Amino acid sequence: MITSDILSAILVSGIVLGSGYALMASGLSLVWTTLGIFNFAHGVLMTLGAYIAWTVSDAAGLNFGLGLAIAVSAAIMIGAGILIERVIVRPFYDHRDILLVTVMTTLAAMIFMQKGIQLIWGARLKQLAPIATGNVQIWQTTISAQEALIIVVAPLLLGALWLFLDRSRTGRGIRAVGQNPDAARLIGIDVSRLFIITFALSAVLAGLTGVLLGSIRLLTPEFGSEPLVKALIIVIFGGLGSLGGTVVAAYLMGLLEAALVFFVGIYWAPSMIFLLLILVLLIRPQGLLGKVVR
Amino acid sequence: MSNNTNALEIAGLRAGYDASDVLLGMSFHVGPTERVGLFGPNGHGKTTLLNTISRVIRPRAGDVRFMGEPIDQLAPQKIVARGLIHVPQANRLFPDMQIMETLELAAFTPRAREELKTNLDYVLNLFPRLAERRRQQCKTLSGGERQMLSIGAGLMCAPRMLMLDEPTLGLSPKLKDELAEAISEISSRGIPLLLVEQDIAFILSLVDRMYLVDHGEIRREINRSGELDHQEIMDMYFGSEGA
Ligand SMILES: Nc1ncnc2c1ncn2[C@@H]1O[C@H](COP(=O)(O)OP(=O)(O)OP(=O)(O)O)[C@@H](O)[C@H]1O
Ligand SMILES: [Mg+2]
Repeated sequence: MITSDILSAILVSGIVLGSGYALMASGLSLVWTTLGIFNFAHGVLMTLGAYIAWTVSDAAGLNFGLGLAIAVSAAIMIGAGILIERVIVRPFYDHRDILLVTVMTTLAAMIFMQKGIQLIWGARLKQLAPIATGNVQIWQTTISAQEALIIVVAPLLLGALWLFLDRSRTGRGIRAVGQNPDAARLIGIDVSRLFIITFALSAVLAGLTGVLLGSIRLLTPEFGSEPLVKALIIVIFGGLGSLGGTVVAAYLMGLLEAALVFFVGIYWAPSMIFLLLILVLLIRPQGLLGKVVR
Repeated sequence: MSNNTNALEIAGLRAGYDASDVLLGMSFHVGPTERVGLFGPNGHGKTTLLNTISRVIRPRAGDVRFMGEPIDQLAPQKIVARGLIHVPQANRLFPDMQIMETLELAAFTPRAREELKTNLDYVLNLFPRLAERRRQQCKTLSGGERQMLSIGAGLMCAPRMLMLDEPTLGLSPKLKDELAEAISEISSRGIPLLLVEQDIAFILSLVDRMYLVDHGEIRREINRSGELDHQEIMDMYFGSEGA
């Protein structure tokens, strides 16, 4: 028997989960639709963003407060995104198997950065101070204010991303480059500049996700590993090449996970999610809202 | 820049893909307000030539001058910014974008943005079908509509010269006539034109002069002052293909 308080608990925790997934996966999806590659360093960018914010804000670090921490973290993420594009993606644009080669280079970057983070910050668990403190009741479920903040901030950030891609010249240019780079070049778009902007934007999204989740989870150098895997699955499940599909899939995934944790327990939930996703892909190979792949 | 500077001047241009050479040293020019045709058998390098001029692919040797200035070392977007616009063969454009969105986006360079309103009016007048379908996505357009949008997008770039690659490929005679009219209207504004076509009747109706492209070289120049008729050109065309 599902009582309304159980339903409430499943829905609320599902939406909290889904919000984090949506932020994570949209950055990954943006890079996929624009450049046609998967950035496996996306998860460790999330980790890096959170650690930088920790160093700037925590009493054991520079103790500057969260506002500055978020700004510094975002600025460094822009640099990190640009660096990754320049150093390990750009050299392979003309490579026949760019997708596979960049799986290798971005995986290498991921491992490298994880080790780097461990070296700089050590293996001791850390936690960011929450941006919002206290508790909030939603329907019949009480969650921390930070979780409520995530529920609110995720759609705002995603809405801003959508507006940027739909309305601004640069955003439209990014979509054009993803759909047909040669045609984009021939109307005067600087394709490689938009690739850099795409990477920077995606890295900032990863970093912000890290900052938001860094106070409800514990920071370790592997902080971004599980979110990366989830985000990859969501991008594929949502339909490759569709940012809207990615976002819908992220929230569905969150709800599904919350429901499965309740019904089959935390032990089996992850495997059941995979099973369900595979079933969906058997019925809809192009993904939930996907078009046939680029 | 004086009035008699050639719009386009190509000298000794070589280009190709990986191990294969396609352009084996091409030289020709397009005069200040001239309309020039390029024709020749399939696979002999016409598209490669336009791609090299617009720097979608890199030249291996030779010079390209646009309005007197060398452009062969410029990035493609810089060439577009100068006003040399290449409307590619069988352009799929941006499948998920709508017609209006595509046209507005095509005015991407600062100079094109300044002319956005005027050029948009001009394009929608020239191709009323695009005006009727502003919200339709590129991927659902018919071949003719797509070609119109492709030329329209080229016009939105504020061209000082246009290069069109087989604008009537696969179109019905009626649509060909429509496009021929539109192209002749565009060039009547004094925009120099480089037109690649397989359809000789079509090309003859639109250009002042043409070149026969054969195995990556300019085989012949044909001045159109009436001394060549259809049949002679056809003979040349097929004769050279067998060679
Ligand atoms: N991207 C590419 N990679 C390798 N070879 C190519 C590429 N594009 C064209 N070629 C080759 O270059 C040669 C010239 O092709 P090109 O497209 O320039 O011919 P074309 O004259 O435009 O032909 P058509 O009239 O059929 O359009 C052909 O042999 C073709 O196979
Ligand atoms: Mg061709």
